[in-house]
Amino acid sequence: MQRLAKLRSFVVDDHRYVFLGTSVVAAIGIWFSMQRRSALSLLAGAYTVEVCLYWFLMGWLALSAVALVLKLTHWDSYAEWSPLRRKPLSTIVRWLSYGVWATTAALFVDRAVMGFLSVTSTALAQDKNPSDFLSSIVYMVDKSWGIIAQGVLTTVGLSVMGTLIAFVLAIGLVFLRIQTIDRSDNDFVRFVKHAGVLFAKVYSTVVRGTPMMVQGMLIYFTGFGLLKGTGMTVSEIGAIWSTFVAGLVTISLNSTAYMMEVLRGGIEAVDPGQNEAARSLGLSQWQAMIKVVFPQGIKNAIPALSNELVVNIKDSSVLSVIGVFDLMFATKTVVGIYFKQVEMYAVAAVVYLCLTMVASWLLGKFARHLSVEPQPLTSVSDMTSTVGTVAGTGSSRYSLDRKRADAAQEAATFGTER
Amino acid sequence: MATFMTTEPLIRVEGLSKSFGSHLVLKDIDFAVNSGEVVTIIGASGSGKSTLLRCMNLLETPDSGHIWFHGEDLAADRVNINRLRERIGMVFQSFNLFNNMNVLDNCMLAPVTLHKMGRADAERLVRRNLEAVGLSDFVNAPATSLSGGQKQRVAIARALCMKPDLMLFDEPTSALDPEIVGEVLGVMRDLAAEGMTMVVVTHEMAFAKGVSDKVVFMDQGVIAEEGSPQEMFTAPRLPRTREFLSRYLEDQG
Repeated sequence: MQRLAKLRSFVVDDHRYVFLGTSVVAAIGIWFSMQRRSALSLLAGAYTVEVCLYWFLMGWLALSAVALVLKLTHWDSYAEWSPLRRKPLSTIVRWLSYGVWATTAALFVDRAVMGFLSVTSTALAQDKNPSDFLSSIVYMVDKSWGIIAQGVLTTVGLSVMGTLIAFVLAIGLVFLRIQTIDRSDNDFVRFVKHAGVLFAKVYSTVVRGTPMMVQGMLIYFTGFGLLKGTGMTVSEIGAIWSTFVAGLVTISLNSTAYMMEVLRGGIEAVDPGQNEAARSLGLSQWQAMIKVVFPQGIKNAIPALSNELVVNIKDSSVLSVIGVFDLMFATKTVVGIYFKQVEMYAVAAVVYLCLTMVASWLLGKFARHLSVEPQPLTSVSDMTSTVGTVAGTGSSRYSLDRKRADAAQEAATFGTER
Repeated sequence: MATFMTTEPLIRVEGLSKSFGSHLVLKDIDFAVNSGEVVTIIGASGSGKSTLLRCMNLLETPDSGHIWFHGEDLAADRVNINRLRERIGMVFQSFNLFNNMNVLDNCMLAPVTLHKMGRADAERLVRRNLEAVGLSDFVNAPATSLSGGQKQRVAIARALCMKPDLMLFDEPTSALDPEIVGEVLGVMRDLAAEGMTMVVVTHEMAFAKGVSDKVVFMDQGVIAEEGSPQEMFTAPRLPRTREFLSRYLEDQG
């Protein structure tokens, strides 16, 4: 709203660079008028109108030239001196400048828009791929609509399902990762905890340290080989271990590692005092985690977690190498038919951009919805306590905790980078 | 020996040492609290008094020494610390109410989870304890909506819901505005009057003087001096104690 008001004030009140700006607009309009008229041109039957428009723009250029000369000759006193800056004339000049914009807009519609429509409709009618960039895109998208739609559906399904599965797996994995040895643990529990932590660490390092494309290949062909070993035929294998299933497994296992790190960051950012209070009441490590720390930690992690969906929408494109029929694979297929690489990959880029923008918009709404009903993280009384603590004796420990929390947050952010 | 056995203290710290890195925070501490006693620990910042308190329910793991409580050594390796902690209440400087819960759930969590108490019984218990700290109207309020003083009183009620034998207070009023310190100290006075065994780390000298049975002065990781409040506040033996207390007493005056 404020931006609109600013624009309005620039157009109506200031209108300062009226000649400089609109003469460029007028020149563009003149250039349009010199282009060839297409079959659908609206001005085709109104030659006189077009001549009038042309000379109106030329006249405006001439007037601008006069204004420029006046400005150059009376550089300092132009504002007070020039008749073009005084009341009756300045009002007329302003309205004329609006006319210049309107004229150029009309010529743009007549030449560019109608020309594009004309080429496209001819191409569709004659079933021939036009050479024009935009028309060619419209032609190819129209012809291969089904392929692209299937690709979009696969990409969305793969990333949404993969993210949800990964979320569940990541919760399990993060519980393995954050275990610490407790005094009351016996040797067996200690061993299990050590093994769990080690597994989570190794998993996270390996998965985050190798490309998803390679992981996809490994998983797909490993599964294929194992099933082949049981004596199944290729078509039988294809029925249960399809490229889509292999892709879904890959994206889930891959995303689990990243989400686990995000969750860990969120959990470690929870004030250690929360855990201490729970433990001081006699709750075990596990009870304190489940009832107190984790519910707060997952809330910290929600923004970064939802970002994983956006990442997965984009990164699922690498799974086209194992033959998953996602948007990338669909695009490649269409390119294979028409040999118009730039056009089709531009389409893919725009579709991916739309998908990610819609996803992050929805997730943003979801996150806001979640953080409305629970309490704000810092209330006024918390602020008082912080001030009191810093002034008091516990300051060193408190600031240490804060630093640890910041570091955890950083770890979480780093975890999402690929 | 026989007389010693009859007065076996509720909790007894023996030769306790603790260091953070190369910094020795507690040096060979011996310290005991009898049942029904109120002990205040005073001393300058960094003298180790909070660490001593946190060692007493093992929030800090001591390097060496023993902590005898109900015939068990808390500092022993692989002791079931959770069961012993149920009987030791702790109140923190920064309240540490569970931010994801309301007041009722904060207080109910431990009794329901650990004592397998029914929700109805637990709620009655919580209401009784909240009434004692003057907050019965706040049963369903979210923990984060309370003021500092209210949070600390809920924290005390939460600890009391486990019916502890011993209450530890780690600078319970240091994070509070001066005008609401009184409401928390009032609750603690009531608790002391009811005969609760309490160990209080505090800078509130009026409280230490008026409520405690024993005052412990810590300096540089050792118990420099201990005695009755009368002795400590009128005729401290050590120059260091005198210096520390004179500054606080001037502030009060």
